[in-house]
Amino acid sequence: MLDSSDSQGQAGSISAAAGIGLRFPHHEQVLQTRPDVPWFEVHAENYFGGGAVRRTLEAVRRDYPLSLHGVGLSLGSAEGLDLSHLQRLAELTQAIEPGLVSEHLSWSVTGGHYLADLLPLPMTEEALEVVCRHVQQTQERLKRPILLENPSSYLQFEHSSIPEWEFLGAVARRTGCGILCDLNNIFVSASNHGWDPLTYLDALAAQAIGEYHLAGHSVCTLEDARVLRIDNHGSPVSPEVWALYEQALERFGPRPTLIEWDTDIPAFEVLLDQAAQAAERLRASRGDCPHARAA
Amino acid sequence: MPALRELQRALGRALLAEAVTGAPAELAPAELALPSQLLAIYRNTCLGALTGALALSFPAVRRLVGSGFFETAAQEFIRTHPPTSACLNDYGQQFAAFLAQFPQAAQLTYLADVARLEWAVNRALHAPDVPGLQVQLLAGLHAAVVASLRFVPHPAVSVLRLDTPADAIWHAVLDQDQAAIAALDPAAGPVWLLIERCAGSVQVRRLTPAAWQFTQRLCAGEPLQAALSEAACANHAGEELNAVLNALLADHLASARFTGWIGEGTS
Repeated sequence: MLDSSDSQGQAGSISAAAGIGLRFPHHEQVLQTRPDVPWFEVHAENYFGGGAVRRTLEAVRRDYPLSLHGVGLSLGSAEGLDLSHLQRLAELTQAIEPGLVSEHLSWSVTGGHYLADLLPLPMTEEALEVVCRHVQQTQERLKRPILLENPSSYLQFEHSSIPEWEFLGAVARRTGCGILCDLNNIFVSASNHGWDPLTYLDALAAQAIGEYHLAGHSVCTLEDARVLRIDNHGSPVSPEVWALYEQALERFGPRPTLIEWDTDIPAFEVLLDQAAQAAERLRASRGDCPHARAA
Repeated sequence: MPALRELQRALGRALLAEAVTGAPAELAPAELALPSQLLAIYRNTCLGALTGALALSFPAVRRLVGSGFFETAAQEFIRTHPPTSACLNDYGQQFAAFLAQFPQAAQLTYLADVARLEWAVNRALHAPDVPGLQVQLLAGLHAAVVASLRFVPHPAVSVLRLDTPADAIWHAVLDQDQAAIAALDPAAGPVWLLIERCAGSVQVRRLTPAAWQFTQRLCAGEPLQAALSEAACANHAGEELNAVLNALLADHLASARFTGWIGEGTS
């Protein structure tokens, strides 16, 4: 199992502190002002090429630990991984030496076409085998364990036979990957499907948790008056998700925690404020948690 | 129980369909009451992300036609040419050819040319970093060998011959320079362009027809001597042009527009 404490003290390792998802509108500001942020996370695919964008990533990496967060590997595709994509991820990983590498429990590719969304998997034995095979293949290629993020979803499949929290735990046990516990995703999916988010948390093993994600979501009302929560990363973390984060900290202890904001990206200071709120809760949990380590 | 592969194929078809007409039967009963609305959320995310990727790569095309028209064209393109890679900087290679055939844009004779230029600019921005060939390695080769070399262009380099002055249109539109836009003459073509990355930023330069033909032939992998003589022949010129082209070759090499060669002592 990947424990966040394993890499403590190594160059580029990521401590159990509150980092920020670095997006293009903030590149210049971060390069110019070198803000006091413990680490950044970037979407790996945006840096597969060369040129100025890659130079920016290298410059950020010189001053900060980085986490590479993949959004396009499509670990849940029945048709196998895109090997050229895996190759590019491996090359970037080797070049950037990130503290963490993560991907999603979802799929995006079918028939050779990339659908540009993190689509839900049926929770079946077949899907479990597919995901485990691809996580193993990825870890062998990258020569390191990855973190697997729980998805947000709006629909479920009738033939799903395994609760998502058990599915996620089974992948971690079988492959040795860690879990990127996205609390906004748990809250969104639990609300959409009528799950209890605490049942979800209770099912996860503390030693598998390698990172937390926090983000905002939107709420819409369907034609039948049903409320649907949409994981759009376009607003501050909601009070319910902060509360769920506190529950996670209580159960699993402090871990690297990321503020994500991808639509209607605000001023960088807004992200700093969100990260400060996460940092406060991390500090509080260290006081409470017998297994806490200094960041 | 549907196999995962078939389920994913069915959902993929539903997301890229012209309209949401229904949902695959494999969804849970609670969802079956609202299949179109739920699928529409995924579909909006998919089409929105891909339209956004095209808008980033083709900003001048978008300005020229307006965001509504661009969205219509982009969604038709996405449905007919979905991306084959999850790296969205690589998406849109066929967009210019698509626009050239798009009936609603038939009157905008320059639109596909601007898209061709923007794709070359996108390549110049995002192409992988590859070191240029080491010029001193050429010095050790016999002249006859050098004449037969085929150069490998840097992936950030493009050469384009466009019927319309798409470079001027592109500059004026992105700069929102109203005076320049007013002065544009779409019939003032053709233009012969070299697009490349210099110190991290993209450069679009006009070449003379002879310089362009020579460069284009080199980038297409023709042997050096053949590219020289054909460019000279096509332009009915002699020694003077030859000197110009040799100077241009030196500039190509010094500017790392080639990453290696194929031929004797392949680099």
